[in-house]
Amino acid sequence: MQPFRVMLSALAAAGLATGAAQAQTTDPVADRAVELARAYMKAKKLDKLEQNMLLNSLYRNSIGDFTDRWEKLTNIKIVSSPLGYTDIPSKIMAEAVAKTGSFDIFNDFPYTMPDAVGAGVIVPFDEWAKKGKPDFSGVAPGLSFQQYYQGKLYNMVLDGDHLILVVRKDIVENPQVIKEYQAKFGKQPGCPATIDEWEQMAAYFHTKEGDTRWGIKFDKPMYGAMGYRSVNFSYRHFPAYFGGLLFDKDMKPQINTKEGIEAITKFTSIVKYMPPDIQGWGTPQIYPFWASGQAFSVMSFPSIVGYGVSNEKSIVKDKQLSCLIPTTAWKGKQVRRSPQAAGTGYMVNKYSKHPELAYYFIQWLTSPSVGDEAIAHPKGFWDPFRKSNLTNDAIIKRYGKQFLDTTMENSNYAVSLLLIEGNYEYFKILDNNLADVMNGNIKPAEAAKRIETGWNKVTEDVGRKNQIASWRTGVETGMYGATFKD
Amino acid sequence: MSEAQATGTVGVAPLGSPWHRLGAWLASERVFRLLPFIAVEAIFVLVIIIPFLLTVYISFLKWRANRPFEQAVLSGFENYVQVLTEPGFWTALGRTFYFAACAVTLELVIGFVLAMLVSRTVRGKGLYITILLVPMMIVPVVVGYNFTMLYIDSGPINQLIAPFVAPFGIDPRIRWLSHPVAAQWAVILADVWQWTSLTFLIFLSGFAALPKQLVNAARVMGASAWQIFWRVELPLLKPAIVIAVVIRSMEALKIFDPVVLLTAGGPGTSSQSIAFYLWEQVWVFNKFSFGAAASIILLFIFATLIFLGIYLLVRSSTAVARGVR
Repeated sequence: MQPFRVMLSALAAAGLATGAAQAQTTDPVADRAVELARAYMKAKKLDKLEQNMLLNSLYRNSIGDFTDRWEKLTNIKIVSSPLGYTDIPSKIMAEAVAKTGSFDIFNDFPYTMPDAVGAGVIVPFDEWAKKGKPDFSGVAPGLSFQQYYQGKLYNMVLDGDHLILVVRKDIVENPQVIKEYQAKFGKQPGCPATIDEWEQMAAYFHTKEGDTRWGIKFDKPMYGAMGYRSVNFSYRHFPAYFGGLLFDKDMKPQINTKEGIEAITKFTSIVKYMPPDIQGWGTPQIYPFWASGQAFSVMSFPSIVGYGVSNEKSIVKDKQLSCLIPTTAWKGKQVRRSPQAAGTGYMVNKYSKHPELAYYFIQWLTSPSVGDEAIAHPKGFWDPFRKSNLTNDAIIKRYGKQFLDTTMENSNYAVSLLLIEGNYEYFKILDNNLADVMNGNIKPAEAAKRIETGWNKVTEDVGRKNQIASWRTGVETGMYGATFKD
Repeated sequence: MSEAQATGTVGVAPLGSPWHRLGAWLASERVFRLLPFIAVEAIFVLVIIIPFLLTVYISFLKWRANRPFEQAVLSGFENYVQVLTEPGFWTALGRTFYFAACAVTLELVIGFVLAMLVSRTVRGKGLYITILLVPMMIVPVVVGYNFTMLYIDSGPINQLIAPFVAPFGIDPRIRWLSHPVAAQWAVILADVWQWTSLTFLIFLSGFAALPKQLVNAARVMGASAWQIFWRVELPLLKPAIVIAVVIRSMEALKIFDPVVLLTAGGPGTSSQSIAFYLWEQVWVFNKFSFGAAASIILLFIFATLIFLGIYLLVRSSTAVARGVR
């Protein structure tokens, strides 16, 4: 019996040692968050605590692994309430009125932040960040500065959802395709350099059902392109086509200009090579359609590549070539802009009983080490965005080197969507008019005029002075990838 | 005589104590008959009157929720003027009437025909009724998601249509959810599928309540089936028809679920109903004051229509009652 007990003790000791090793991350940012949380609990004489997080439902299957660990480390249980992302902003704004403190943490897109700040429902992290010292190194300006509003840190992002272009590798590497394409265009097919070239490729590769091309019989049609063109999504893609700032320094819209009309024209004209129902599609339709192999190219969130690899029914597993977002013309030069089209972050409710503790959880979750684990999580939707992601084995295994290299290079061109109050209204005006052009109801020039009028109305309604201040502060950080002089 | 009777106590309150007097006062005929009304009125005030007054108050403020409520200032009728001069409001309202007119008409016709057929069926009546009532019992979210799947351009609806339209060179891939006109009909048809059950139920009760002796008398007097239907049954069913029209119109004017779930009001704003428009203005754009003013205006428009409907209902019921006498 004695040897058995000795063996059990040894196993227990080994288990404890492993557990301790897991708790210690060798990441000072994560460790500091844990220590500060423990110190806070001790100072407030708290033994156990429960905090609530309003969670984007995309993370419902993965967040538990992290909140459980946080509880083991700090005795703070984080209870998540998953909700669809379209409903989260209204919940946050309702909290601004109700002031219940029911949620300690809000998980949503950075674009919710300006209205939430205006309503006074979220708190800046700056004081706590002085103690916790979070690390944003290796994060491109277009991504890191969307954590700030009016110069204060309100939100920490753990998701690089800047857009990427993916083309069918098996098609562009097909010898017969190469031969024919070279003969027609004088260059080899591959990643398109410009938005114009993408449309040209979309037209060339657009194939009807039943056609036989390059020795391949197409039982189903192969659409030349795919991209998000539905209400609530168009605005996320539009900055890839519009190379400058949406407003001048006095918030005068720049959309009703030659460049603006051209951007609207190009954004809408490629739709003819997309599936007919594209204006009604979101991610649940676009991802499976891409995986079914019925499109030559797609501009999308980066996770589409992971979906194409991991989906059981995918026929594009080894057939995806990740590309930099194509450049767009802007005042005689080409500029590359990869909009951060989604990418959630974490904010703290002003009415939380322990907002500081909520912040420490956020710092820990978004720290380089824990953040890397989240991005590598097989059930997670956190996309790579930090330079350290490039060397993390688990992330490389999940996403593949070619994709990682591309998305990280793309992050250098990442631009934030509009981060000022009332942004969802500005976005909707843009979406509605783009839809009208796509449906042939109006011409791009008319759409530009209507967008300009609508945006001016919103600016006046929200308060021009405040909007100008927020807009200028944002532009100065570089998050929009352009300056007022561009 | 028990101890309680001897000491004059009822329950725990001693006779003559304030509690006893209160109990006696509440139990008195004059007060007791009012008690249920007090509870009802209290609920009415809490859930209807106070929120309504608050809405009226907010409609006179200049307030978006992206500013604290404490900073809101009075703005007179500014919001009302904004609503009345906003083309989006009128477009959404007009479209809602269009949705309601199309959906309610189809629901009435289909519901009436089904009710007539089922009421004349001898075998399996219960089964037919059960099957035809199922759509109404399904949660609207489930209906919405199911129709999303049915409507996709390579989905079952287009596949069913294909054999009939393809030979004529017509593209069978109708863009149900992304074409401006098709999207409107996608919303209408989903509503019709779900709520024809209700009109069917109303008409079925109407058919069941038809006085058999009148129909038999008409038959004996040599009336044809069409004459019996047109001259006897249909006039007697008028109250049921008006009830169906009023109830379904009231609901159809509030159409929201299929719009959100199928099209999100798109493409653009082409399938936006007034309920969706208001929801977006308030909960997406945070324009609470604008939304409050729009709600009050809508209340007046819809209340007028509903009163008109109720007036018609009462008038037709009275007319039928007179006819029967």
